[in-house]
Amino acid sequence: MIKSVDILNYLSANNFELSTGVPCSYFKELLIELDNSADIQYIAATREDEAVGIACGYYLGKKNCFLIMQNSGLATIGDAFTSLAQLYEIPLLIFVSYRGLEPDKTFPEHVIMGNVTEAVLEAYGIPYWNMKGGNWREILDEALECMNKDSSVVCILVEKEVII
Amino acid sequence: MRSEEVIASLKEFISEDTLIVSSNGNVSRQAYNFLLQPQVYLRGSMGLPMSIGLGLALAQPEKQVLVITGDGNFLMGLSSMTTIGNYKPSNLKIIILDNAIYATTGGQETVSSTVDYLKLLEGLGIQHYGSLNSITSPSKLHEAFEILLDSKQTAVLHINVEEDIENLENIPWQPKEIKNKFMKKT
Repeated sequence: MIKSVDILNYLSANNFELSTGVPCSYFKELLIELDNSADIQYIAATREDEAVGIACGYYLGKKNCFLIMQNSGLATIGDAFTSLAQLYEIPLLIFVSYRGLEPDKTFPEHVIMGNVTEAVLEAYGIPYWNMKGGNWREILDEALECMNKDSSVVCILVEKEVII
Repeated sequence: MRSEEVIASLKEFISEDTLIVSSNGNVSRQAYNFLLQPQVYLRGSMGLPMSIGLGLALAQPEKQVLVITGDGNFLMGLSSMTTIGNYKPSNLKIIILDNAIYATTGGQETVSSTVDYLKLLEGLGIQHYGSLNSITSPSKLHEAFEILLDSKQTAVLHINVEEDIENLENIPWQPKEIKNKFMKKT
């Protein structure tokens, strides 16, 4: 398990000053910490594609913004990836909750997206990492290096109760 | 007055350090041709110009950010206006050029004529807004530009425009080039 405050300290140290997205219960604690954060502001977007727009605009203004969303949002934001972030080569870090796995079987609305989440990311050509705990700093180091080197979108998949 | 005439006449009201985001289709082509370069010219991401403007305004609070969007883009991204109404960055200004059609795809009608823009903008919590149903004289348009750009708050100007006579050529810069040139300036 990873403490929300530790992740935010890491991101702040890596020059992220803004965050935006649409909530998931998997990120409940992280969003509470963001509310309390003096270093990183959170903009509550109405849709995930809007959040991509905000983050891309922030980057064009020479500052870094990360995103938070459910994997359901990956289905909403296809065009924001392909005709904005990827087309203009804008680096984006996105934390995506990995809904629809075994513990989510009582939430059928997540099951189909859960089954195709990694295939969707692969189809978009978006590198992703499954962040489960102990080595989270190494994973984020690697993801940020990839994001900066290739000016690419990178996704961090986060399962239930990983971020507390 | 047509969209291209409105954008061309905007030139003298915009300072050199104003950052402009223009929506995909004719609007960005007109911004490319008639306003100071480089700016953010969107090729796709329909519905997102206001969100991009919001992000840019938050990153560059000392600079004026102007979003120029058609009505099709505005309506697709309507929910993002609720976010703007909530956070209200004072340096964000939006012009909606409303020709009530999707011009670059063959002139299909949008549903824009149903919308009462003054009531909508008021309902979004945006305090400075205006709407020009018809542009009877250049001075009326110029006055509206000045009110919009001098506003100390988030401000939106909706303008009903006539259909452009022709679609301009695509912007010759590749998207990555647009980004690099814009960020070099910013």
